[in-house]
Order: sequence, then C-alpha cells, then structure tokens
Amino acid sequence: MNNGIFELKNVHFAYLGKFPALCGIDFTVYQQDKIALIGANGSGKSTLLHLLDGLIFPGKGTIRAFGRELKEDLFNDISYSRDFRKRVGLVFQNPEVQLFCPTVKEDIVFGPLQLGMDKAIITERLERLICVLDIKDLLERPPHQLSIGEKRKVAIASTLIIDPEVLLLDEPTAGLDPLTTRHIVDLLIQEHKSGKTLIVSTHDLHIVEELADTVYVVSQEKRIVKSGKPQAILADFQLLQAHNLIHIHRHSHEDTTHAHPHLHTEHH
Amino acid sequence: MKRANNFIERSLMGALSFLKESIFADELAARPGFLQSLDPHVKAITMFSFIIIVLFAKSMLLVMYLYVQCLLLALCSKIRLGFFLKRTWIFMPLFALFIAVPAIFSVFTPGEPLFRFQVSGIAFIITRQGISGAGLFVSRVITSVSYATLLSLTTKHFVLLKVLRVFKIPQVFVMVIGMCYRYIYLFMEIVENTYLAIKSRAGVIIRYRHGQHIVAWNIAQLWQRSYQLNEDVYSAMRSRGYSGEPVILNGVKTGKRDWFWLCYALTLVIGAVYFTYWRR
Ligand SMILES: Nc1ncnc2c1ncn2[C@@H]1O[C@H](COP(=O)(O)OP(=O)(O)O)[C@@H](O)[C@H]1O
Ligand SMILES: [Mg+2]
Repeated sequence: MNNGIFELKNVHFAYLGKFPALCGIDFTVYQQDKIALIGANGSGKSTLLHLLDGLIFPGKGTIRAFGRELKEDLFNDISYSRDFRKRVGLVFQNPEVQLFCPTVKEDIVFGPLQLGMDKAIITERLERLICVLDIKDLLERPPHQLSIGEKRKVAIASTLIIDPEVLLLDEPTAGLDPLTTRHIVDLLIQEHKSGKTLIVSTHDLHIVEELADTVYVVSQEKRIVKSGKPQAILADFQLLQAHNLIHIHRHSHEDTTHAHPHLHTEHH
Repeated sequence: MKRANNFIERSLMGALSFLKESIFADELAARPGFLQSLDPHVKAITMFSFIIIVLFAKSMLLVMYLYVQCLLLALCSKIRLGFFLKRTWIFMPLFALFIAVPAIFSVFTPGEPLFRFQVSGIAFIITRQGISGAGLFVSRVITSVSYATLLSLTTKHFVLLKVLRVFKIPQVFVMVIGMCYRYIYLFMEIVENTYLAIKSRAGVIIRYRHGQHIVAWNIAQLWQRSYQLNEDVYSAMRSRGYSGEPVILNGVKTGKRDWFWLCYALTLVIGAVYFTYWRR
C-alpha cells in the first residue's frame, strides 16, 4: 500500500469559526503505523483526533481517509458512515463523556449494536475483552459510579469491541496508576501487533517510546513543529522544555541548590 | 475566577451523573413488573390513550378512576408509591400557583359564591364553579403527568426512543424531546447548586443585587458548558456508530398479556368517549 490511510493537507480548524484549534497540519498515516502526538494542553491534540474520527471537519485544507476526502455530507450515507465507524475507533479523552448507558455491559455493546454486527460475534468479543481488561465485576454497574481507571478501561473496551483497523486514543493513561497504565500499554501494543494502526495523544512521556514509532510534537501555535523517532525527540531537552513537556527541577542539597531538566521517562 | 470555575465543573459533573442516574439509569425499567413485561409499543399506545382520555374528560369521577388505576399500575410495576408520588407531584405547585389558584376566584370563573373575604378593601369571591374547575384541572394535569412518568420509568431509554420512532415521530423531534428532558433536570440542579454556592460564599444574608449578579453569570456559563457537554456526548455516540436510529439488544414479542391489556384499554377509551359525549 503506497497511499496513506489518512492524508492531511494544510488542515485548519477553528471552534465556532473563531477559536483556532489547528493551524495548518500536514500529516500522513500509513497502515500499521504507531504514532504519538505530544504537546502541551490546548495544543490541539484532541481536535486532531476528532477530525480523524470524522466528528468534525476542517475549515480549510483537506483530510483524505482510505482514499476518499472526508466531508460532512459523506456521513449522511448510512453505509459509508457504518463502514467508516467500523474501521476507525476513538477513545475519548474524557471517559465521562464516552459512557452514557445505564450499565457497563450495555455501554460496551452499544457500538457494535449500532453498527449492526452479529450478536454472536459481539458476545464472543465481549467475553474476551472482559478477560483481558479484568472488568467482569463491573458489568452490571452504572458506569458513572466507577473510578477514573475503571471508566478508562470500560471506555477502551467499548471502542476495542468494534475491532477497528485504526485506533485513536486521546490521553489513554492520564490519571492512572502505574500498574493500570502498564496494562493498558501492553494491551495497545498487542492490538498493534495484531495489525491495527495506533494513534495516541499523550503528554505522558513514559509511554511514548513503547507506543510510537513516530512522534509528532504539536506546539501551542497549533502546528506540528517536529516529528521523528521517539529516541531522538525524547533526547531533545530544549524542544521538550519549549513545549511544556518537561520542567526544570530544582533540588536543594544540604547547602547548594542545583537545577537540571527533568524528564519523566523513568520512575524514581 | 478559579473557584468559580471549579464550581461550574463540579455542578456540571454532578448534574451529568445525576442525569445519567435519573434518566439513563434504567434500574426501574429492568425490574420484573407488570408494565415492564408488556411490549413497549402496546404500553406506549395504551399510556397515550389514557392520557388522551384524561385530557378530554369532563367528569371528575373518570379522572379519579384513571388516577387510581395509574397508582395501581405503578404498584404492580414494583415502583415505590412514595417515590412515584414525589416524582409526579414535584411540578404541581407551579401549575397550582399560576393557573389553578387564580381560576377559583370570581374574576376568572364567575358563578355561585362560596367564600368571600377582603384584602385591603378589595373583595375576593371564590366560586363553586371555580373550585371544581380548578380541581378538575389539577387532577387532569397530575394524572396525565403520572401516566407519562410511568411510561418513562418502566421503559428503557433507548427502547422509548425507538418506540417514538415507530409512531413516525420525526427523529429530530425525538432528539429534541430527549434534550429538553435533560435540560429540565439540569436546570433544577443548577438552581440548587447556585443557591448553595451563594450561601457558601456570601453567607445566608446577602444583598439581593450581589446574589443576582452571581446567579446571572453562572447560569450563562453553565448553559454554554452544558451545551458543549451535550455535544460531546453526542459525538461519542456518533463515533461508535449511532446514526439517530437506536438499536437494542433484545426485542420483545407481543404476547397474550399484551392483547388483553390492549382490549381493556380500548374498552376504557370507548366507554369514556360514550360517557363524555353521548350520554348527556
Ligand atoms: N469546544 C470548544 N470551543 C472552543 N474552543 C475549543 C473547544 N475545544 C477546544 N478548544 C480550543 O482549541 C484548542 C485545542 O484544544 P484541544 O484540541 O482540546 O487541545 P489538547 O487536546 O491538545 O489539550 C485550545 O486552544 C482550546 O481552547
Ligand atoms: Mg485533549
């Protein structure tokens, strides 16, 4: 496959036409890529993922997905819309928003039911996900009563059950403890190995190296300012510092104070 | 500024989970009761026809009969009476105050005087026709509200939306109904939280204008945020393939019980029409 599954050319987006959220994004995603978008809060990562999921549409510039330009009226065609939603899944930044059914179980099966998938397949996938994510005890509970980590897991399950080709994840590990983070990262790596394309937004630099082959740095000016291998990007302290991804640590020892840039790639 | 934002955040999140609990939480709809066991279409048709009878009824007796029937249905559907009464009577003071109370006076409803009294030189006369008209009005409202509540309590949210679609009610309309419903509850929550916030920041005794200022500012912000939240939830639904036509896991088959119930409701409708329009 020589063409990208997503091709963005000079994409601009502004909320309500006046609050700029993306200013000239060029970016191509190929099949089975593993991409991380990093950037400070408000740099436009979520907006970009919503664009890729066909929820909002560029004000200027074009997005092509699977060889066709994404346009709002394209989604009025039920068969196109179904096909697209089956191929692309998004885990929202705020699981509060993503979970709206009375019980966890209904929330997880919501997607495949809407997409008209076979009930036997749905049940089978549900069983597998329950096992992998260890959420059996949550199934009959209302999602809004869960802890943030449990909500995240359920949100991830509700997207994974659709078994999309492209997985978009908006800060999937924000606010999670190290062990749960580990589980989720492992799960995502597994999904990538089985052939999925992965696009993750995060400012958790711990997980970037594992979850990405290519890292894009999104700036406060809502542009992609740099891309490259995770090792190269993570070693560029100046760049990371300029984008609020690391901070200078000041330590006081006995009688001296010294400062050094502080990169959160290892625990200490 | 910071604190105010936290307040907004908190009340919105609170409102959201409250909404989910009261509207989406289909806990009552999942109980094994009489109405829950009916085919949702049959249930919706019969509930709507009871509401229509109530709205056109001229006899207090008929309305009372339907109200008692409604309470019995609630009981048979494993809904606690206290909970049900609280939920349905909560809107009543408003109606009573603005429509029913004025209607009992002779200015609005002329007729046979029952009581009279004077307030600062103006004579007020309460009429018999006024009282019975207001009584009928209040009982009609409460009965129809009760049936509507009963239907929504015993039917799962998505099933209800689906049923409304079967009646050829346009999708936009159904969505608007859903939205309005959510906004009403959100509004009640806002009122409560705003009150608490003012109290916590300004103490119980506050100057009216100051309080008004806080309230106006908060409500403007809240509407904006709640609109955003609604949008976001809707995107999340679309992202997982929702296209306005809800799909549900298990359809219900129409059984014997449904036909009996339908026949009973039909008889009641015919009887009511006969007594209201032809017998007199
Ligand atoms: N609903 C909205 N209305 C107006 N502006 C918004 C909205 N959502 C996001 N923005 C703005 O768009 C920019 C990008 O936001 P977002 O994509 O959420 O960034 P990130 O996910 O990187 O934190 C921010 O400046 C933010 O203020
Ligand atoms: Mg974001």
